[in-house]
Amino acid sequence: MSGGAPNPAIAIAGLDKWYGGFQALKQINLEVHRGEKIVVCGPSGSGKSTLIRCINRLEPHDGGRIVVNGIDVNNATSNIQDVRREVGMVFQSFNLFPHLTILENCMLAPRLSLGMKKREASRVAQRYLDRVHIGEQALKFPAQLSGGQQQRVAIARALCMEPRIMLFDEPTSSLDPEMIKEVLEVMEELASDGMTMICVTHEMGFARRVASRCVFMDQGQIVEIADAATFFEAPRSDRLRGFLSQILR
Amino acid sequence: MLFDPALAWAILPRMLYGMLNTVTITALVLVLGLAVSLPITLARMSPRPMFNLPAAAFVMFFRGTPALILLYLVYYGLAQLPSVHDGPLWLIFANAYACAVIGLTLNHASYLVEILRGGLDAVPAGLTEASAALGISPRQTFTWIRFPLAMRYALKAYQNEVLMFTKGTAIVGVITVVDLTAAANEVFERTYDPVTPMLGAAVLYWVLVNLMRIRFEALDRSLNRHLIADERRLRKPVVGASQGALARWTSLPAGPTEHAGTEQAR
Repeated sequence: MSGGAPNPAIAIAGLDKWYGGFQALKQINLEVHRGEKIVVCGPSGSGKSTLIRCINRLEPHDGGRIVVNGIDVNNATSNIQDVRREVGMVFQSFNLFPHLTILENCMLAPRLSLGMKKREASRVAQRYLDRVHIGEQALKFPAQLSGGQQQRVAIARALCMEPRIMLFDEPTSSLDPEMIKEVLEVMEELASDGMTMICVTHEMGFARRVASRCVFMDQGQIVEIADAATFFEAPRSDRLRGFLSQILR
Repeated sequence: MLFDPALAWAILPRMLYGMLNTVTITALVLVLGLAVSLPITLARMSPRPMFNLPAAAFVMFFRGTPALILLYLVYYGLAQLPSVHDGPLWLIFANAYACAVIGLTLNHASYLVEILRGGLDAVPAGLTEASAALGISPRQTFTWIRFPLAMRYALKAYQNEVLMFTKGTAIVGVITVVDLTAAANEVFERTYDPVTPMLGAAVLYWVLVNLMRIRFEALDRSLNRHLIADERRLRKPVVGASQGALARWTSLPAGPTEHAGTEQAR
């Protein structure tokens, strides 16, 4: 999968990010090709979330360059909107809009950002809710669903914008074990449909099954990138070996 | 001296006339207060000093001034300025009723700015981010996510403020407007019976405030359907305690109403 492809889905070069005097990202270089599934892992505070939040500019970066499907991610408002249409995001805490029904949660962005008519938006929303196996809950409110169901709705909500890239920021970290499975299954279905994905996750089983490449971050730097087999079986750096021994107990 | 039903019946028309003024002043201040406070709230929350400093000054001034003194100043004080007394604004400031509405609106709006700001601040940042990540513009995010939720969070505090200022309209008597309290006071001065008119006024205030409470509760029910629907579900058996706790933790808090999501039986 490495190199070669003329137009990477995401090209990150020399990325720096500071929070005041603290450097959260140091000279990050990463190219993600179309259809690739990248799993990012690393200890808490290593910059994993910050990295993917820079890609759709939930965090502005301070140095280097990010290009998403040919769009330069910079201060220009129109570029930000364009990038966010290309890139869907799923959060650790679901972030469903509590005052809207499941269906309305999914309809909102297509109606507001794409100017879709109500009927069409509803049709699209229902299609993606069915795809994440939750279509029968469409008229409920988020608080009436379990965590796993809410997270699947969040995935459907992002898919309704028909993004070409999906970012997952620890999507299963606040779920009970039995609910983690249902969310991972939906993500695996998405992966097998060819979606370009970057997942920050500690679900190592998922990484082995799905990841094209795994990225290990520590202290704001990418320490190691490898295909899943090499990553788990033959880690090169001591830091990754130490990390894996911690989480694979 | 005890309550005199015959006197109460005789003074009822005058009391209702006073109450009509209380109600119309309340309604006008309610509408004008919302209209004035929304732009000031937005200015107050702006990161730019040219907006937020004047808004902060407005709140500091009108929240700090006693409403009674504010009414004196608007009605008697402004009349001392030649530019007001001889200018076109005199049409407004010569009218006690208009001055009452203006003074109370300024006072009410200054409280309302802080209530609205609190509501907007309480909207979880994650929701604004999720909306941004979906490509929804900041303005649309405000219209469809932040403001609707802030309204729900602020409703109870708003209700308190509205009920308090409704009873607080009694001070308009000092600038010659005959409201419910002033009407009761007139009767007291004429009959030397303090109990009948004051108790009568209290009953009428109580009725007004409770009619408003019923309206607020209906509004609360319709705005917070997403929580009420949830409470109804609580009567169904809870599948597992840990799942209930998880859902409670993960479902977004939307005000003081207690709620908990439980695992959906599928």
